[in-house]
Amino acid sequence: MTALSEEGEAATRVKMDFRIQKELPLERKLEILSDAAKYDVSCTSSGADRRGRKGSLGNAVAPGICHSFASDGRCISLLKILYTNECVFDCKYCINRCSNDIERTAFTPDEVCRLTVEFYKRNYIEGLFLSSGVWISPNHTMELLCQTIRKLREEFGFNGYIHVKTIPGASPELVEKLGFLADRMSVNLELPTSEGLRRLAPHKTRRTILTPMKQIQTMIYADQEKKALPGGRQLPAFARSPVALQRPEETERKLFAPRKPKIYSDFVPAGQSTQMIVGATPESDYHMVMVAQALYRNYDLKRVFYSAYISLNHDSSLPDTEKPPLLREHRLYQADWLMRFYGFRAEELLSEEKPDFNVYLDPKCDWAIRHLENFPVEVNRASYGELLRVPGIGVKSAQRIVLARRSARLDFPDLKKIGVVLKRALYFITCGGRMMYPTKIEEDYITRRMLECDRKKNWQIEHPETYRQLSLFDDRNFAGADPPGSEEQAAVLSGQF
Amino acid sequence: METNVYLCENEIDGIFTGIYDAWASGYGHENVRVEVEEARTLSLFSRYHAVRTDSGKAEKVARSIRSKISEKAYHLVFRTALSADPGKADKIYRFLIAGFRYGSGVTTRLADPAVMAVFEASRYVANEAHLFREFIRFKQLKSGIYFGKIKPVNRVAVLMAPDFEDRMPSEDWAIYDETWRDVVVHRADGPWVLVRPEGSEWERMLKESEEEERFQALWRTFFRTIGIEQRRNPNCQRNMMPLRYRENAVEFWEKEKR
Repeated sequence: MTALSEEGEAATRVKMDFRIQKELPLERKLEILSDAAKYDVSCTSSGADRRGRKGSLGNAVAPGICHSFASDGRCISLLKILYTNECVFDCKYCINRCSNDIERTAFTPDEVCRLTVEFYKRNYIEGLFLSSGVWISPNHTMELLCQTIRKLREEFGFNGYIHVKTIPGASPELVEKLGFLADRMSVNLELPTSEGLRRLAPHKTRRTILTPMKQIQTMIYADQEKKALPGGRQLPAFARSPVALQRPEETERKLFAPRKPKIYSDFVPAGQSTQMIVGATPESDYHMVMVAQALYRNYDLKRVFYSAYISLNHDSSLPDTEKPPLLREHRLYQADWLMRFYGFRAEELLSEEKPDFNVYLDPKCDWAIRHLENFPVEVNRASYGELLRVPGIGVKSAQRIVLARRSARLDFPDLKKIGVVLKRALYFITCGGRMMYPTKIEEDYITRRMLECDRKKNWQIEHPETYRQLSLFDDRNFAGADPPGSEEQAAVLSGQF
Repeated sequence: METNVYLCENEIDGIFTGIYDAWASGYGHENVRVEVEEARTLSLFSRYHAVRTDSGKAEKVARSIRSKISEKAYHLVFRTALSADPGKADKIYRFLIAGFRYGSGVTTRLADPAVMAVFEASRYVANEAHLFREFIRFKQLKSGIYFGKIKPVNRVAVLMAPDFEDRMPSEDWAIYDETWRDVVVHRADGPWVLVRPEGSEWERMLKESEEEERFQALWRTFFRTIGIEQRRNPNCQRNMMPLRYRENAVEFWEKEKR
């Protein structure tokens, strides 16, 4: 009896540890483990600035570098792979959940290092994005990630960008160890409410996600302060969080001030990011942007990514949608930008009464039309912050206007010359007190004009599949189309067609 | 009065010498024009002066831009000189007139057409250099060198070199510009240099290493699987990575070899 139950236990353990059955060739492993990693949106290599060093390979550039664009139009910057797709968690939406019957495999640390370095030298990638399914336990998995990254940094001398996922539930010691080796770390929030998590990701909780986030934030501060100010004084708030929720007035001042070098921490120098799934649970856009804003403010995240829900598993607790909600995702990104670079607060964009974004208008246009009392603004006098709120004027245009008006009074032709697009902006600005055309500052009128600008773009976002224009000289092999026979060619020549 | 056209060599020193000569000619700014040789379409009522490149004169022009205008202005001019724009030499000339008049403030005078012209040319060059920095692909040659080929419109290899020197300081690598026939060569732990390749030795060097094909195949596998089918969007892909940049990008090759 004991022997039998022992056997049974051993069998489960074997099932747990070794669902990975046989050693696969590297090519097949890469296929499986990049396929399993692709649903993570984050692909950026930005936020760290590190010069190259003789004797090692690689550097990191603050704005990040894309190296290719995949068939879905998303940038490829990092070698995005899972260490293993083996997983003991059972998150309903995830392709790698333990209840799915799929082929499982795992890299070895050496394989990950070799791939990264060889791809990097060929300029295919800017670095490594390493995530993983939870193998045996969060700590065991985190330990493996740690070994791999250490090997890459120390044995392979890799000095490029590394983004590692924190496994929810791993010990703080491991998070700390990994943090000194990686550029960016991230824990995915996945669902904006704890209710959603409970339903769809039963092995994750708010706590196991937010605890490492807080730990990483605290350690970044500690490291920056240690480096910046030997006396132990506090850094001013804006120096700590250069991107998140910048105040436009500060940016305007900085435009003319000499550039100060930014202080990078050795601990997770590129900061943290997270991701939320859009459309798997019934939360409103208002809810999403409020959560994002709280993450930027309280956890100093560099980025919150939004991922339109793609139906991969059939499950009664999941919505059964055929198409991912791409336009909704797009609106959320637009709002995210407004919060990070344009000085908008989430409460300005949406409210309990108006919880979702307008499908037809981008969030900034929508805001401007509801606040016509603020317009038109005079280009020659408006502050940088006010210019940023004009539909059609982006960060670059606003900066150019602020620069150019120091040496000349600007009129509409000048705006065109410095590259400001007036299609939308013309309804909201004056130059020297005049509008470009006689225009009514009236809600219905402007709404109609804005809708005309956006209709085509909105349609394209929802229907990304298009066709490539053929050139007369393209030598493309169309399946099924036989090459014209000599008879037909003759017919063409003699004008029979 | 007829226009005096200064025809100069299409190199930065040549353009600077042309500007020096035109400026010193005493004909007055409105009666001179500086042109690079390749751009030559002869026009009526013009007198043509051949400029002989003189590095001393070029050096003087460079020095005065840096000291009397600004380092930023020099960068703008330098990048404009690398552009494929046939009118670039005269654009630089007109920009410098404004530059010597307004000093370092000239770079904020975006509403001035002479300033904007240089800004635009320079931006095009800088953007292209940036895109090739993203999309160039290296392959390992038998000799161990990492070799990358580009086919740019503007002469961007020299702008890419410092970036790769920082990125791969202890590797041997080379970038070959097919359009302008420039080669930037970097020795491990050394500086990079610009050379002009000659003859068959060059061709012989380009044999790939045995491992090369394997990594190209692995990269193609990765590239294929990383795209999400439900989000397929070739339009966006093409906007971000226009077709002309794909020629040397191995992930877009359908077959193993070319």
